[in-house]
Amino acid sequence: MPVVERIMNQESSLTDLDRAIYEWQLDVPGFGEEGQASLRGSTALVSRAGGLGGPLAFSLAAAGIGKLLIAHGGELRHDDLNRQVLMRHEGIGKPRVESIRETLASFNPHVEVEAVPENVSEDNAARLVGQADIVFGAAPLFEERLLLNRECVRQGKPLVDAAMFSLEGQVIPIVPGRTACLACLYPEIPPHWKRRFPVIGAVSALAANIAAMEGIKLLAGFGQPALNRMIFFDTASMRFQQIQIHRNPDCAVCSSS
Amino acid sequence: MAQVTFSYTGQLANAAGESEVVLDLPDEQSDLRPVLDLLAARHGESWRELVLDAEGRIRSTLLVVIDGVQAAGDKQSLSLTGAGNVMLMTPIAGG
Repeated sequence: MPVVERIMNQESSLTDLDRAIYEWQLDVPGFGEEGQASLRGSTALVSRAGGLGGPLAFSLAAAGIGKLLIAHGGELRHDDLNRQVLMRHEGIGKPRVESIRETLASFNPHVEVEAVPENVSEDNAARLVGQADIVFGAAPLFEERLLLNRECVRQGKPLVDAAMFSLEGQVIPIVPGRTACLACLYPEIPPHWKRRFPVIGAVSALAANIAAMEGIKLLAGFGQPALNRMIFFDTASMRFQQIQIHRNPDCAVCSSS
Repeated sequence: MAQVTFSYTGQLANAAGESEVVLDLPDEQSDLRPVLDLLAARHGESWRELVLDAEGRIRSTLLVVIDGVQAAGDKQSLSLTGAGNVMLMTPIAGG
């Protein structure tokens, strides 16, 4: 059973230009032209393109995903720039989506980018998730992350949740009905979580690229996605581990899926 | 007597000022809940608040990982019998 059921039957056969751009990855065992065509026919929703979602979207664009739908509100600030690699200094004070569009368009103009100047909310979550084949959660607030999780479970869309703190990061690939969801692990909004926390950009980019790779595997149907596992790393000691996680049979979000 | 390593991630490690503590637990002290009181006494009130709610119950958002596997079932009565390494993980996010 495929993990990702595509919402669109996009034309996904490769052109000669595709083969030229993606030549190095077409040789990856198990990926090949079929995997590339799957990526090209896919739409990914990225919830915020900051320290996590930015490098994540960048890597999906590099890999040749068909469309990036990016939700990120607000104007660019100086304190975004230690980690938000899609942003540009000249974009300070302007909507973040402007930097996002310009950077991605100049990097890979063959990827369609729709940058929505809003964060995921009750008003737009169903519509945004409904447009995507896969969703990446990279927002700083648990209100957004748990809302995205709930909507992905409701619509049966795979979600890759990525997070970082200080020198640590974690990634959780979620396939509704088959794996633990975010609410299985965090059934409520953690009361002591703060919007502002310590992090170095290289750490968020590392978590982002692990998340991107998990998403690429899910979309292209190769490798072994870390289902029912949390990928955790601590760059202070360079300790990487996979933690076995479980569905909560009483989960208010996914127990009936 | 069993030696158990407790490691912390995220806000917990910051609040403790250290990421790992090794305890020699007497055989009769095999449940997680009283051990958290021992650790909270060592690390202080901000650490305690991340782990326990106002009624002294283990927070629902605290992930307890024993030897690489998320502890299943009721955390309030979780046994540490046979545990070698216990990770206590508070939620983290993006941004």
